[in-house]
Amino acid sequence: MSVLQANCPSCGGPIEFKAGSTIVLVCPFCRSAISRTDRALEDLGKVADIVDSESPLKLGLKGTYKEARFELTGRAQNKHELGGSWDEWYATFSNGWVGWLAEAQGRFYLTFYQPLPAGVSLPSFEGLQLGQVVTEIPSPMPLMVQEKGRGTSIAAEGEIPYKLTPNEDFQFADLAGKNNAFATIDYSMSPPWVFIGNQVTLDEIGLGDARSVKREGKRVSAAGLPCPNCGGPLNLIAPDKAERVTCPNCDSLLDVNQGNISYLKALDQTNVPEFVAPIGAEGTFPGDVKFKIIGAVVRSVTIDGEKYYWHEYLLYNPMIGFRWLVHSDNHWNFVEPVNPADVAQDNVFVAGSTVEYNGRKFKIFQDAPAVTEYVKGEFYWRVEQGETVRAIDYVAAPVMLSQEISANEINWSAGTYMTNDEVEKAFGISGLPRPWGVAPNQPFTGRFYYTWGALPLLALLAVAIFMIPFSGLTNTVLNQEVVLPPLVNATTAQAVFSQPFDLKANRNVRITAGAQVDNSWADLDIDLVKDGTTEEIESVNIPVEYYSGSDSDGAWTEGDKKSDATISSLPAGKYTLRVEGTWQNWQAQMPVTVKVEQNVNRGVNFICAFLILLIVPVIGLIRKVSFEGSRWKDSMFSSASSGGSDDSD
Amino acid sequence: MLKKLYMVFGVGVLSFYALSSWFGWELANSGSKSRLGVPFFYSGFRGGK
Repeated sequence: MSVLQANCPSCGGPIEFKAGSTIVLVCPFCRSAISRTDRALEDLGKVADIVDSESPLKLGLKGTYKEARFELTGRAQNKHELGGSWDEWYATFSNGWVGWLAEAQGRFYLTFYQPLPAGVSLPSFEGLQLGQVVTEIPSPMPLMVQEKGRGTSIAAEGEIPYKLTPNEDFQFADLAGKNNAFATIDYSMSPPWVFIGNQVTLDEIGLGDARSVKREGKRVSAAGLPCPNCGGPLNLIAPDKAERVTCPNCDSLLDVNQGNISYLKALDQTNVPEFVAPIGAEGTFPGDVKFKIIGAVVRSVTIDGEKYYWHEYLLYNPMIGFRWLVHSDNHWNFVEPVNPADVAQDNVFVAGSTVEYNGRKFKIFQDAPAVTEYVKGEFYWRVEQGETVRAIDYVAAPVMLSQEISANEINWSAGTYMTNDEVEKAFGISGLPRPWGVAPNQPFTGRFYYTWGALPLLALLAVAIFMIPFSGLTNTVLNQEVVLPPLVNATTAQAVFSQPFDLKANRNVRITAGAQVDNSWADLDIDLVKDGTTEEIESVNIPVEYYSGSDSDGAWTEGDKKSDATISSLPAGKYTLRVEGTWQNWQAQMPVTVKVEQNVNRGVNFICAFLILLIVPVIGLIRKVSFEGSRWKDSMFSSASSGGSDDSD
Repeated sequence: MLKKLYMVFGVGVLSFYALSSWFGWELANSGSKSRLGVPFFYSGFRGGK
């Protein structure tokens, strides 16, 4: 089709179908959806005004994708059956392509119509299963069903490349694949149409400079409405996104629908929690992005009859979308959504089960129904007290990967552990209550002491090997037998001198003495005397005793016929040994063998240094084992998983 | 900070070991067998008057 100028069949105003692909044009004067056919223009009915959001996109923006230029020429706004709305922008490309740029919760998906091969038909909407890989779709990446839902076309503007019927309900399925692959099956067509593409960033499509337009005057009027229950003021932070809001004055749960607020019910006021972080607080999070807390919920799981509670704060940034800040046992996690297709899961939920994400294995920690106990603030979905999803947590510190399964949707998210200091810095506050226990994904901070901290041990080995030539090649400087004459009596010692020998400096000295004792003893005092003087430089006592015999157990021996003593290095010079002794058979002479060696490698220095350097790594390992024990003691899969978890310094 | 202190301590132990090996100092030397009580390294000091 070509460019067409005409008059609106509803109001008569001039309208122009600029793009050849345009099927429906929303009349800018009367907001009628005008469809063009081969024969005439058809009025499909009025469409509602677009609910202005803080979307950075607007009609007329021009971008580039795969080197093809495009312009945003139309926009349709759809309502999700569970609450919330999303925008679909239509990108008309200069080369004739038509792209669908969907915007939901701050994320963008650019898709293109993909005809199915001849003879291939897709599963029916009812037959489609969450988590199912739809192999019929011709895509380089396997695409897995992430969500099945129903939507309603509620508003539109500009030019629309399909026959948009106002307020028409439709069924859809969203699919995700690795590397941000994305697809939608539109079941409003028969047979259903498939749109394939990717999750993209605005930078990737040349719209990085697009900035949210503040539309304070045009935003959903709910921002200034009073509570329909108590009349108190409601100051909504993201009125264009809110589907549910609680009244801070009367604690009512209110429904927000296109600017209309209605009373739903009073919140259960038993056990009203105290939230540490107030609604409206703004914090700076990883990536230097500012998020504002717009809502808070208390959730719980019941394990072995005991309820465990935690708080979750809904964070909002118009450019990024929604994130979560989770507060449990005074531990904190910053939670971001994860593409389900990027998680490799075998759907086995037993102790030791793992999933893989970003090249890391995550161990299963918990699998239990999570119940929403209390809500406060505003939410982009129709939150309810008592809302229950199956929540499965996997951990690889400092990240916790969580899967939440509801009837229509599977969501994955990754929570990154934040220290109290980081949270305090993010919000510019101080005095947050200190955490207790060990969080499932809390990183162990003492890893250094048994990894890099063991480096001195390796260095010690290297130094010991390097020093062998200097300290470990034993050198004998004296080996002589001296004979002590018979004693005068049993207590008066006899002494003789050895021949002189040279000692070198900086080398230790080992003196070995051997005596011919048999079932007897000899007590030898050996003095190192500077040759030519009477100055004793060192004196060691070397007792020698040796006994042997036999009894009912057989032969036995005790002691040794020789013994030694090692001393530190002495000044270099010529020395003699003065050997003095008494012995049991004092009436007989006592031959004594004396040997002096230097550079004896006993290993005592090495062992002492090794043990000293081993203390800290061993303590580090003990702390690690204890830490992991604490981490896994609250896990329902602790028996097989307590072996450890990834950690960081 | 603790990590730096520990590394300084480790380097200290290593240095002490290397010095001991170089100078022939014996930790746990003859000990009780020594009658004069020569310390870890010989200084020639005998105490006394």
